[in-house]
Amino acid sequence: MRASEEQLRIWMIGGLDGDADAYTALLGALVPLLRSFFGRRLRGAADDVEDLVQETLMAIHTRRGTYDRSRPFVAWAYAVARYKMIDQFRRTRHMIQIEGLEEILVAEGFEDACAARMDIDRLLDGLSPKQARAIRDTKVDGLSIAEAAQSAGLSDADIKVSVHRGLKALAARLRGER
Amino acid sequence: MQTDDLIRALAGDTRPVPRHAVERRVGIGLVFGGIVTLATIAATLGFRPDLDMAMQAFPFWMKWGYTLSLGIGAIVATLHLARPNAERIDWLWLLAVPLLLLLAVAASELIRTPVDGWQRLWLGHSWTRCSMLVAGLSVPLFIGLLWAFRRLAPTRLRLTGAMAGLTSGACAATLYGLHCPEASATFVVSWYTLGMALAMLGGALIGPRFLRW
Repeated sequence: MRASEEQLRIWMIGGLDGDADAYTALLGALVPLLRSFFGRRLRGAADDVEDLVQETLMAIHTRRGTYDRSRPFVAWAYAVARYKMIDQFRRTRHMIQIEGLEEILVAEGFEDACAARMDIDRLLDGLSPKQARAIRDTKVDGLSIAEAAQSAGLSDADIKVSVHRGLKALAARLRGER
Repeated sequence: MQTDDLIRALAGDTRPVPRHAVERRVGIGLVFGGIVTLATIAATLGFRPDLDMAMQAFPFWMKWGYTLSLGIGAIVATLHLARPNAERIDWLWLLAVPLLLLLAVAASELIRTPVDGWQRLWLGHSWTRCSMLVAGLSVPLFIGLLWAFRRLAPTRLRLTGAMAGLTSGACAATLYGLHCPEASATFVVSWYTLGMALAMLGGALIGPRFLRW
């Protein structure tokens, strides 16, 4: 069972105020989140994933003062994780294939905006059913591309294209609504 | 190390973090850097002897208006970039507004002056030193900012370096105004701007190396 954004934020603020128990709970709850964040992107290099999880925890600790208490917490933590991942790629210069990098970046900008003020269902209603389902499966329910493809009876490429186009359409609409 | 041990170690170090920790840290870095810069000016260049008179006249405030507004804009941008999930800055072009305003002042100054006086307006007495002094005096401020960034989390390192460089250049130029007796807008828009641009360029060049975390 994953902790909610609201719970994580409360723990984080507790930690910032010096509450060690809240802070321990926060770090503990972040571990599975970070493992799946990196796991999805590194495609199962288990040692690298664990290294990045630890580095991210340390960075979150050292730089916790940059978290703005009035803003979403998970987006902040993922921003630290994303930086750590990109930094590691740069450092090791491994050729790691990041599938759909653009999609990852778009998706996280979308998550921020969404968590802040959007009703996912209402948004997805405006898309074609195929796109809506692809986004819901991969971005909301956390299925991998392959799992989503299997459950929808489509090809991987089909799912990726649907997610990409759907997110683009959503981003355009969000910009229009401002 | 096991992840659980790491969590225990980190949780054992839960000192409270003040609200507005980013602003505080950047402020502290700038204040300490500024003290060093100010002391350097006092010890080597000296303040202009007519400072209290000058502070009642237009040229002084023209200079300060320019460097302070740039400095404040650059500080706001630096604070913004210090957070990992900073959104895009749409207003960065506003930093050009002080420059454009001062260019307008310089243009009106030149129009009112006969052409053979232009060189004096442009070069003043100290054009050979001004830019290098501004850039050099920005170094302590920049170091103060680098210290501040050791607990901050920028993700766009080159842009952050450039804005930190501009911040330190503009603050240094403001303090240098306490020494510099030049009074023409044409001078300031040329040589002060060049000095601040050098500081910004330096920041952009070394930012990615020194701001990594």
